[in-house]
Amino acid sequence: MIKIENLEKVYKTEEVETTALNGINLHVAAGEFVSIMGPSGCGKSTLLNVMGLLDKPESGSYKFIDTELLTLNDRERSNFRKKNMGFVFQNFNLIDELTVFENIELPLIYNKIPAAERKQLVNEIIERMNIVNRSGHFPQQLSGGQQQRVAVARALVTKPKLVLADEPTGNLDSSHGNEVMELLCELNETGTTIVMVTHSSHDASFSNRIINLKDGHVISEKINKSRNEELI
Amino acid sequence: MFKLNLKIALRNLWKNKTSSFINVIGLAIGLAACLMLLLYVTYEWNFDKQGKESANVFTTMTNIFGDNGKTAVTFEGSTTAFGPAIKQGLPKLKYVARMDYGGKNLIANGQNAFKCKSKFAEPDILKMYDYQFIQGNPNTALNSPNSVIVTESTAKLLFGTTDVLNKIVRFKDQFDLNITGVIKDQPDNSSNKFDYLMPWSLYETVDESAKDLNWSNYSFITLIMLKNGANLDLVNQKIAQIEKKNNTDNQQSQVLFPLAKLHLYGQFDDGKSVGGAIEQIYLFVGLAFGILLIACINFMNMATAKSEKRAKEVGIKKTIGANRSSLIIQFLTESMMLTFIAVVFSIALLELFLPTFNNLLSIKLDISYFNSSSWFGILGIVIVTGLIAGSYPAFYLSSFNPIQTLKRKIKSKGFFSVSLRQVLVVGQFCFAIILIISTLVIYKQIQYIKNRPVGFDVNALVEMPQDGELKTKYDLLRSELLKSGAVTSMFQSSVSLSHHGRNFSGIAWEGMLKATNNQLFNRVITTYDFIKTNGIKLTDGRDFSENFASDTSAVMVSASAVKIFGYKNPVGKTITIFGDKFNIIGVFDDYVWDSPYKSNNPMVVFFDQKQTGNITMRLNESNSLQSNIETISRITKALNPAYPLEINFLNNVYAEKYNAEKTLGILSNLFGGLAIFVSCLGLFGLVTYSAEQRTKEFGVRKVLGASLFNLMQLLSLSFMKMIVVSMIIAIPLSYFLMNKWLIKFEFHTEISWWIMPLAGFGTLMMALITVSFQAYKTAKANPVDALKYE
Repeated sequence: MIKIENLEKVYKTEEVETTALNGINLHVAAGEFVSIMGPSGCGKSTLLNVMGLLDKPESGSYKFIDTELLTLNDRERSNFRKKNMGFVFQNFNLIDELTVFENIELPLIYNKIPAAERKQLVNEIIERMNIVNRSGHFPQQLSGGQQQRVAVARALVTKPKLVLADEPTGNLDSSHGNEVMELLCELNETGTTIVMVTHSSHDASFSNRIINLKDGHVISEKINKSRNEELI
Repeated sequence: MFKLNLKIALRNLWKNKTSSFINVIGLAIGLAACLMLLLYVTYEWNFDKQGKESANVFTTMTNIFGDNGKTAVTFEGSTTAFGPAIKQGLPKLKYVARMDYGGKNLIANGQNAFKCKSKFAEPDILKMYDYQFIQGNPNTALNSPNSVIVTESTAKLLFGTTDVLNKIVRFKDQFDLNITGVIKDQPDNSSNKFDYLMPWSLYETVDESAKDLNWSNYSFITLIMLKNGANLDLVNQKIAQIEKKNNTDNQQSQVLFPLAKLHLYGQFDDGKSVGGAIEQIYLFVGLAFGILLIACINFMNMATAKSEKRAKEVGIKKTIGANRSSLIIQFLTESMMLTFIAVVFSIALLELFLPTFNNLLSIKLDISYFNSSSWFGILGIVIVTGLIAGSYPAFYLSSFNPIQTLKRKIKSKGFFSVSLRQVLVVGQFCFAIILIISTLVIYKQIQYIKNRPVGFDVNALVEMPQDGELKTKYDLLRSELLKSGAVTSMFQSSVSLSHHGRNFSGIAWEGMLKATNNQLFNRVITTYDFIKTNGIKLTDGRDFSENFASDTSAVMVSASAVKIFGYKNPVGKTITIFGDKFNIIGVFDDYVWDSPYKSNNPMVVFFDQKQTGNITMRLNESNSLQSNIETISRITKALNPAYPLEINFLNNVYAEKYNAEKTLGILSNLFGGLAIFVSCLGLFGLVTYSAEQRTKEFGVRKVLGASLFNLMQLLSLSFMKMIVVSMIIAIPLSYFLMNKWLIKFEFHTEISWWIMPLAGFGTLMMALITVSFQAYKTAKANPVDALKYE
């Protein structure tokens, strides 16, 4: 589904140039759950941002089901993103002024889904995420695990083909972290492609394939046998 | 989506109560002040513009020529012969109506008598003004000499109802008049306002000088309505020709001037309008928008300062799929909504404070002076305010890059945003400091004029109009009042001690070099005890006296008149006035009888017992004020029962002379204060925000050992710098502006050196208090709390 070739990204400041991505090649098949690991500053978040069309690389190619995405303009990128992708962040990034329900509803509004259908979709996902009794609360009133579940729900409500997760368990304790990982696995089992950046090899063990980055290169790729066997 | 944006906006408002309060209340105060000033401006601007064809109505001005062919004086007035003459010779003329200046005269319903504003006019007046007739026929109402048109409130005052057609009222206790019309009350911003209107044909009986068609007595008003599209210059040329044919004396000329412009452009120099009250109107419009601008600046500053907080929201929305235009719309919606809330508040504030405002200025403003187009204007102000206030945050915030905002890389400390905010704050405080200095200078000027001696003690003097029986029974009144002990001395005179010029120039003196005199002299006609009563300083000679029968051809003159005559020993010398010779028997010091802001014309006081008008009395100070007034009332009422009593204290009469500048003083005080308040409100908001942003930094600093003072200094210093910059700009600017203002007055104070530091220091203190309050709160906070934040 995703074909990334020779991706390069350089951050420039007045004094230094930092190469974040140095000719990355990466293929992700539909329905895969890929973890990206590596030390701080290896470029894994940059890669995720480029995949999410939040950032533009200097050169290379990024094809999503045969569509070249790097040549799109801002408006097209924004449109593509809202139709095909969902995001889960380490720090949840919920809008403080909106309730749980409204936060989840927001992407549907940007996708111009009619109100009745929106209500139905949000209610479905709230039920699935087990946060029905929280739907009228504001993010500050929830625990971290609950906030992340809302964030996952918001990422999923548009039924995206690709979910991008940036250290989704980074701000959570291990039991809440596990809950979120299980959620992502369930999601993957229903066919959604997931790309996740993580520091934790425990989290990575939930995925099909683990990619290791260092200094903007892919240094190793490992099929996670245990998970694959589980699936069989 | 709109609903959701609205929700976010409202919840944001609620969460940031301080800044919302500053935004909404600051803007509401700014708008209310702006609307109040605009209401006042609308009131002034629409003077005499009520009639549908008010643009075609003109009044007649008379120019009096002075030396070297220049026009010395221009005033609203014309002769009796002028109207009929141009009616014949001016094809562009549609209507013409002669009128008197109007006055307060007695009108009675049979039992009770009231003094109300009367006016005499020719019937065409009814075609120039669109009086709304409740009863009666406008085409015939002024046809019979014994008719009268009353206003709604006069009808109610006299009879308790407006159903008064064909009832009889008695005018001046002499004429029985038949009510032929009842009209709606006229608005206050009308120059020719009256309580009852009588026909000119009656005036010719009441005042014989009105009957005589002449070109020399300029004591009447002639209103003219021209046909549509008439060229005023051509009409005035034609009028000059007509006048030349009829008037052999070429010392004066009469010209038409738009009636609706007279109120605001009533100042003439060499016969040309050179402004007038319009300058104040410009000032108030400037003040109105200045205050609104200050409030808008607060709004923009608060919004940009909060941008870091809102940046996260922008980032999230952008990742989820919002595009830039939807974000711009969101922020503009928000600012429009805030503006709208502020407008609602401001209209409430306006309604709440309008009565107080009216009281202060002694006018009757009403929100209904705003007509539909004004409301569109207000709507325009709202939209523009919302756009200005919201545009910077809208375009600035929406341009944020999503990942940067999510990673909190955005600092609202970009070069542009900070410097713009600084510029805005500096601008605000410049305006505030200029206002403080102006207020102080205006106050000082008013005090200066007030403290200028008027030339006599106004406190023990009272006066009353010489109406009805008081004209014929003056001697009886005088002897009874003196006998009662309430009054120590009194005199009758043609005018009050305080009056506008009764000017004449037909005077000659011994050794006069010119053939004719151009200098205007003021005339007062009185009887005995003039100087004894008023206490004006007699520098030479004596007062009029019963011991000298020859005093009927004697005059007293003011010191400035003697200067013009060039007499070394004036007493005993003669002057010739319109052919009659008069002996000078006394010289008195000039006193303030007209405007206290400029030197008044030289004065000649004549003796004539038939010229009545006003009675001035010196109260006996050994009795209580109350018993004196009671005695005067009792005696006067017994002699003159038909008239209501009207005793005025001269100190009140003189206090009214300062009204125009008092209005300016009050308005500049009030709105200057508001401007400073709103500016400080904005500063408070900025400091609060800045403190909130730096909570963590402060916590760290505290842990490392910073003292309370260090931290307060840190937070206050940058703001204080901006105030100092404003002072550097504002002080010379206001010095220049106020000097220009002061020079316009013949008698004016100087700008004292201490005003500048006082204004600067005052502003600095106010800002410091504002800033310190918040700085103290932040600096005092527990460092652990500060570090937990985030």
